[in-house]
Amino acid sequence: MTDTENKPKKVLLVDDDYDLLEQNKMLLESKGYKVVTADSVDSAWKIFKEENPDAAVLDLIMEEHDSGFILAHRIKRDAYGKTIPVFLLTSATMVTGMKFGVTTGEEKEWINCDAWFNKPINIDELSTKLEECFETRKM
Amino acid sequence: MEDHRPRVIIIDDEKGLRIGTQRLLQSENFEVDTAENGMTGIKMATDFEYDLAIIDLKMPDIDGISVLKEIKKAHPNTICFIATAYASYDTAIEATKLGAFTYIPKPFTPEELLRNLNAGYERRLLTLESERLKREREERLLELAFEKSRLNTIVNSLADGVFVVNKNGELVLFNPAAIKYIELNEIILGEKILGILPKKISELLRKILDNPDFENKTLSAEVELKPDRELVVEIKCSPVPHPDGSLAGVVTVIRNITEMKKVEYVKSQFVSMVAHELKTPMAAVLGFFNIILNPDLKTTPEQQTDYLNRSRNRLQGLVEMVNDLLDISRMEMKTKQRELKELNIGEIVKGTVDFLELEWKKKGISVTSKYEDNLPVFKADNNEITRLFTNIIGNAIKYNKDNGTIDVQVYTNKNYIVTKISDTGIGMRPEDKARLFSEFFRVKNEYTRNISGTGLGLSIVKRIAESYSGKIEVESEYTKGSTFTIYLPFTK
Repeated sequence: MTDTENKPKKVLLVDDDYDLLEQNKMLLESKGYKVVTADSVDSAWKIFKEENPDAAVLDLIMEEHDSGFILAHRIKRDAYGKTIPVFLLTSATMVTGMKFGVTTGEEKEWINCDAWFNKPINIDELSTKLEECFETRKM
Repeated sequence: MEDHRPRVIIIDDEKGLRIGTQRLLQSENFEVDTAENGMTGIKMATDFEYDLAIIDLKMPDIDGISVLKEIKKAHPNTICFIATAYASYDTAIEATKLGAFTYIPKPFTPEELLRNLNAGYERRLLTLESERLKREREERLLELAFEKSRLNTIVNSLADGVFVVNKNGELVLFNPAAIKYIELNEIILGEKILGILPKKISELLRKILDNPDFENKTLSAEVELKPDRELVVEIKCSPVPHPDGSLAGVVTVIRNITEMKKVEYVKSQFVSMVAHELKTPMAAVLGFFNIILNPDLKTTPEQQTDYLNRSRNRLQGLVEMVNDLLDISRMEMKTKQRELKELNIGEIVKGTVDFLELEWKKKGISVTSKYEDNLPVFKADNNEITRLFTNIIGNAIKYNKDNGTIDVQVYTNKNYIVTKISDTGIGMRPEDKARLFSEFFRVKNEYTRNISGTGLGLSIVKRIAESYSGKIEVESEYTKGSTFTIYLPFTK
């Protein structure tokens, strides 16, 4: 971590697939983050309120096809939550040809997150983006 | 007609004149009959339609005017001549009023007679021809009117909406279905309608109407007339050309494709669900490989073995899922060749329990069972029925607690062979029970996290049961257990 603060940043990681949850936890920890995990929208919200994470990385499709969207929305509406970066993970892009992005105004309005990543994640890209977001928020 | 020799009848009581005239006319290629008095003349000239009739005005039995009347009444187109020496101006007028072609004073010269007869014959041919043309025209008009009303009936009966506008955008034809689809209550022929049509339809029409070099090409579009796929139509606009090739107007056909769109939507939902269900385990396997191969992570050999084992499980799950999907697809397409045999459901259930013995013994589960004697046979495909019970009993083992029990009962109830399979497993919440038979749905909670499955097993069970007009019921209590009851109908 390039951050000058000594305290490691805390990331909330949410996925209902336990293999992926474990893998991503390990990858994030390898980059020096402290990771708290949840496997559903409800448990994630509880942990979010208890732990006040510095960032959230959410799987898009969990119990419902839009669980990730809903959780991202809830976090972004929260007084504290709106100050932290929220990333969404999806496996949809490659197979279905669906493309997600947060570039157009419409997408920014509907998709309440700071970045998208395809599964399995490239941890270097994800951590670089996280650091960028932290930097922007400090300024 | 021209090929025929003109047929003449001479009605005269004067024998010399009769014969003289007959000879003269025969030499001029007329076909000639004669009548020696008025009554015979009437009989002959009404029985047969002569082209020409020469009628003596004064005859002993009946006067020529009466003969003329009778002939004209029967055959208005027979050209009649009144011949007499006692002519008076008044008689001549009366005779022509009654339909005589002309009046021939006696004595007449052969030239005089022939001139009159030829003129009369020409008139007859013209009259006949004009009558034929008139008749033909009337027949054609009748046909046309019939054709038009038939076409109207056909167009009006079409389920597809049809309307035609001319090149000014004025409505020239429509059927009731068109009005229904575009919801125009008061529509008047001749009215400009582009402004009141749904936007997409008028845009399509304008593309043809506003293009002077229109190509003879049909434009089509799908239009959602009511939101959320409630009413979707396909619009096809085709230019209607004049015979010279210039644009006369546009014919628009509106077809309801709502059902098709609904099926398409469900299908695409299913495809994206399948894609997600396939991609997730692949991402997990790929993720494990990335971790093992990443030198920075320095995984231990024990970790690597664990990850490889878990990758293998995920791949195994993928293979099962593809098999399940293929089964579903075969069932959907009904291509699966069913081998219908008379089956004993009790034996199949018992066989399945035995087949899975290793699985339930591994978890320390005990199985109790009761099979009714003399169960009626059930005609079905052995593989499908075995698959049905393997999925249900497999779940009863998979989702049971260690050292739990499974109770199996097969019995008849009215028209059904009933199979009841109860377990003492983790059960489910009402909200999970409601979605149990949906494709890819899997109950996710702390108990199920280590249980693998495709989320297709019960969906297949339901499809099989329903394909045999059977049904399946579930009772469940969260953390206590579930009971699945399968009803298969039998014929007595």
